[in-house]
Amino acid sequence: MLTRFLTEVRVKFNPFSPRSKSARLFLTLIPPNARATGMKIEAKMLPRTSKEPASLDVKFRDGKELSLDIDKMRITEVMEQVDRHSRMLARKEELSGN
Amino acid sequence: MPPRIHLRPRALRVRISRPRSPIHHGYASLATATTPAPPIEQTYRSAPPILRYPPTQPPSHKPPETRKSQLHRQYQSLLRSSPLLLLFQHNNVKAIELMSIRRELASALEKVDTERAKNGQEPFAEEIKLQVIQTGIFASALRVIEFFNPQDTTLDHAQHPTDPRTPTSAQIPNTSNDAADERFTHGLSRRAHEAASNRKLKSELEPLLSGPLAVVAFPSVSPQHLKTVLSILSPSPDFPAPKRRTNPDYHEPAVQSGLQKMILLGARVEGKVFDLEGTRWIGGIEGGIDGLRAQLVAMLQGVGASLAGALEGASKSLYFTMEGRRMDMEEKEKPAEEKKE
Repeated sequence: MLTRFLTEVRVKFNPFSPRSKSARLFLTLIPPNARATGMKIEAKMLPRTSKEPASLDVKFRDGKELSLDIDKMRITEVMEQVDRHSRMLARKEELSGN
Repeated sequence: MPPRIHLRPRALRVRISRPRSPIHHGYASLATATTPAPPIEQTYRSAPPILRYPPTQPPSHKPPETRKSQLHRQYQSLLRSSPLLLLFQHNNVKAIELMSIRRELASALEKVDTERAKNGQEPFAEEIKLQVIQTGIFASALRVIEFFNPQDTTLDHAQHPTDPRTPTSAQIPNTSNDAADERFTHGLSRRAHEAASNRKLKSELEPLLSGPLAVVAFPSVSPQHLKTVLSILSPSPDFPAPKRRTNPDYHEPAVQSGLQKMILLGARVEGKVFDLEGTRWIGGIEGGIDGLRAQLVAMLQGVGASLAGALEGASKSLYFTMEGRRMDMEEKEKPAEEKKE
């Protein structure tokens, strides 16, 4: 997954729900030095009894915000959604020659 | 000079006191070598069948020499021996970060142990460790622990001699060297595998077991140690992290960046599953199990005192009523007597 263009990741999930699996896996896809390079990562845990669905909010470098209802998606689908915008940003960066 | 040969009067006396009488003799045919009595279990159970495998290595369902099988066995023993188990998710924690977190954890637990040693309690901080686990194998081991509980031992397969179905020449089947044998009860046996692979049974901890996991296992439920571990690994207002002034090592960038990537998911306490808040609640129990016992004793003493008070109250009030009535009747009688005179 392209994580260079992410500036903020906010995840909220209930670990006792089997649908929060992709939310937890999304956290594992973030590289180890992401926080050091300025990415904001917030993981909020819901209590066991809560029925609130897992959610993921992502902010890109150009200011675009993306929020996904992650509890109905597989991790590959989440990656596709996030990568779609990241690839656009990558192409722009390449064309501008930076 | 004292005599070189030590006299042993007691030994001499024994020989003297038992002279062989010429009349006393026995028949050679009746002379028997004394054999020790058989163990009490053999008197009501026939001898266990011959083992066809080393007793420490019963045949297993999967090849036992592989890393997977050994980890499975190790996780089973971890789950059986630790009543308190914390589950963490670790997201791309670097080796150096993991190392420094472990160092901090060990040093904090050592402090707790020195405190415990002052009170005369046994220390066990060395056994509390952060251990990264293989999630799939751990999940399988957990299923074996929860759903496979063999009741009988190998000795139970020997037939009871007082059982009328047992003829004297009954053949007791030997435990074979085959993994398919129904009689194996160890965690790697085929029976255990079949019990664990029953998909209809759902374990409570199952949804937690995905992704990269690490466990902290405690050899006993000790809120004191749990409190320390929580304040190091997942600080919260109730369990504050050590201050920079008291413990500067804890605030090194390697430790802090590692801790940001660790998420406490839940805990397994004596077979029950607790979420984050439940875990914090256990960590907040003052004084551990002894504290709880003291609270219970205080409560029961209070109950006893109030019960005694209540029972006493009834008899007291009865006494007062009766006494009152007696006084009343005496007063009534007296004026009658006076009138007669």
